[in-house]
Amino acid sequence: MRLYEHEAAGIFADAGIRVPGNALASSPEQAASAAGHIGFPAVLKAQILSGGRGLSGGVMKVFSTEEAHETASKMLGTPINGMPVKTLMVVRYVDFHTELYLGVTVDGYTGKPTIMASTAGGVQIEEVARKTPEKIVSALVDPQRGLYPFEARRLLNTAGFPPEKTPACADTLVSLFQVFQNVNAITAEINPLVICADGRPMALDAKLEIDDSALFRLGEGIPKDPARGDSPLEKKGREIGVTYVELDGDIGIISSGAGLGMATMDIIGKRLRPANFLETGGGITQERLYQSMELIMMKKGIRAVFINLYGGINPIQEGAKGIVRYVRDHGLTIPIVAKALGNRQEETWGVLRAGGIHVVTQVATEHAVDRLIELIDAKG
Amino acid sequence: MSILLDRHTRVLVQGITGKIGSIQTKWMLAYGTRIVAGVTPGKGGDRIEGIPVFNSVEEARRKTGAEASVFFVPAPFVLDAFMETVDAGINLIVVVPEHVPVHDVIRMRAYAERHASRGLFALGPTTPGILTPGQAKMGIMPASLFQPGHIGIISRSGTLSYEMAGILSSAGFGESTVVGNGADPVTLTTLVDILKRFEADPDTHGVVIVGEVGGIQEEKSADFIAAHMTKPVAAYIAGRFAPEGKRMGHAGAIIRGSQGTFASKVCALQTAGVDILESPIQVIRWAKKTVA
Repeated sequence: MRLYEHEAAGIFADAGIRVPGNALASSPEQAASAAGHIGFPAVLKAQILSGGRGLSGGVMKVFSTEEAHETASKMLGTPINGMPVKTLMVVRYVDFHTELYLGVTVDGYTGKPTIMASTAGGVQIEEVARKTPEKIVSALVDPQRGLYPFEARRLLNTAGFPPEKTPACADTLVSLFQVFQNVNAITAEINPLVICADGRPMALDAKLEIDDSALFRLGEGIPKDPARGDSPLEKKGREIGVTYVELDGDIGIISSGAGLGMATMDIIGKRLRPANFLETGGGITQERLYQSMELIMMKKGIRAVFINLYGGINPIQEGAKGIVRYVRDHGLTIPIVAKALGNRQEETWGVLRAGGIHVVTQVATEHAVDRLIELIDAKG
Repeated sequence: MSILLDRHTRVLVQGITGKIGSIQTKWMLAYGTRIVAGVTPGKGGDRIEGIPVFNSVEEARRKTGAEASVFFVPAPFVLDAFMETVDAGINLIVVVPEHVPVHDVIRMRAYAERHASRGLFALGPTTPGILTPGQAKMGIMPASLFQPGHIGIISRSGTLSYEMAGILSSAGFGESTVVGNGADPVTLTTLVDILKRFEADPDTHGVVIVGEVGGIQEEKSADFIAAHMTKPVAAYIAGRFAPEGKRMGHAGAIIRGSQGTFASKVCALQTAGVDILESPIQVIRWAKKTVA
């Protein structure tokens, strides 16, 4: 779950990281008044969950109450990367020379936390990571030992931080690492970290992504809303306990596993256009597959459905009943092909066939997709 | 022959009294797995499918000689169960559950690495487990799709490993062992650790890697394959059409910026001399050419 900047900044501040004082605004009036209190020049920052905000008009400097009002009303009405802007964070403008970068993330290969630093911080950091990755230096942290300031200083020396600023920036990195540990983060980033006129570092942005699987044990200060940032259909998927990702085609897909779902999408995608990715995970019930059918059919213009199930941990015979019930309740007449293998496969085939669904019993998904295409062609 | 698991392995089931644990125990026994004990704290003295249940792993090991353990423990309790199992001296641990917190897995992995020298090998989380056709299985793989043979399969995805094995089996090939590596952002073992076992197994004549977008496991295994694998290797990578930044069902299946893309995996593996399968069914042609 990604946090909004203002939420992350609050957590950073509690951990002793210096952040600019801020106020939130959800209307132009509030923004103008907040900016007036904070003082000019002020900066209006759109609170959205996608990156690259600085390059898409999501961060604007204003010099007067009128300008704050006008700019805020523009920003609140303009989606960024498809995400509506509902809240602005208003902060005092801070003058700085150098933009630095600090980050902590999980290195999936070694299974260890990684600390990262760069003197090439700022809005272009993703570009830097792509084109000149050597400008971002990193080091693994022993998860049992934790991170000590001398290790942070060593990393910042390698990154080329100004020597006289290194101790204070290293302390910031250690605090960031503590946040990473405390909130069970996947990533914690400060970009940019700047050196203020008083010579001390300040975090001008705050980025935090928390592991969804750990939300259950985090304290009250942490929002518990993993569905934020989902599209309406993705949100609905989460409610019924499946993963749904909307795509731009017209063939609905249901699969009982993530890898199988991706492979199904790939195979169908060679010749037809998938409308979605949907995987049920290991908790198939009659109800969940009924609701999954309902969900994939919510997208307009679905012209066929492809179902790919394995009975390993899942009772697929139960799932089949849910599918058939949906088809019957809604008098669905578009082609539906199902492949269902594993524990209780014969029973599952019986249920599906009795419900008018085309069952393919071969193992390879390709054969079942061939069948789907035949049915679509026959329908014309 | 096989890697990690055979019909003689004495298996313990943790979380055996739960709904999934008890059903899967039945399926594992039906496949021939030598299950000797179950553990659920507080339920010692019960029997599930005739298998004695103990309160602790230490007791189960002492009384039954259990040497391998498969987990059907709820995600929040996996870390505790894992530490207990390592301390009890069990050397093969299969963590089936999904949604284990990543920071817990980081601690489990570090603890497992500290005990690697004694031969500890741990798989998961979010793994379908291990299956040695015709002998035994630890986990949730549906038995009907597997046949004894000489192709090793390593998969990040459960269902896709079933599909790959099922295609090979139906074409007259079989599998030496099928291993689920786990689908989380951090796993307890790497693809490389499993490749090493297959390379050393005389009964495995070729290996199929079933990968997917996200992470850098496949890229890292490419370096190992180029330098150390003498056996033929094929790979299928799922998620060619996966959009960036979306979690494709598995916690680890997410493309972040330029990392974890289909193209980067295919390119790394191809450079290492791996045969790339455009779709799972192409494994038949590969098997005919290289392993027959």
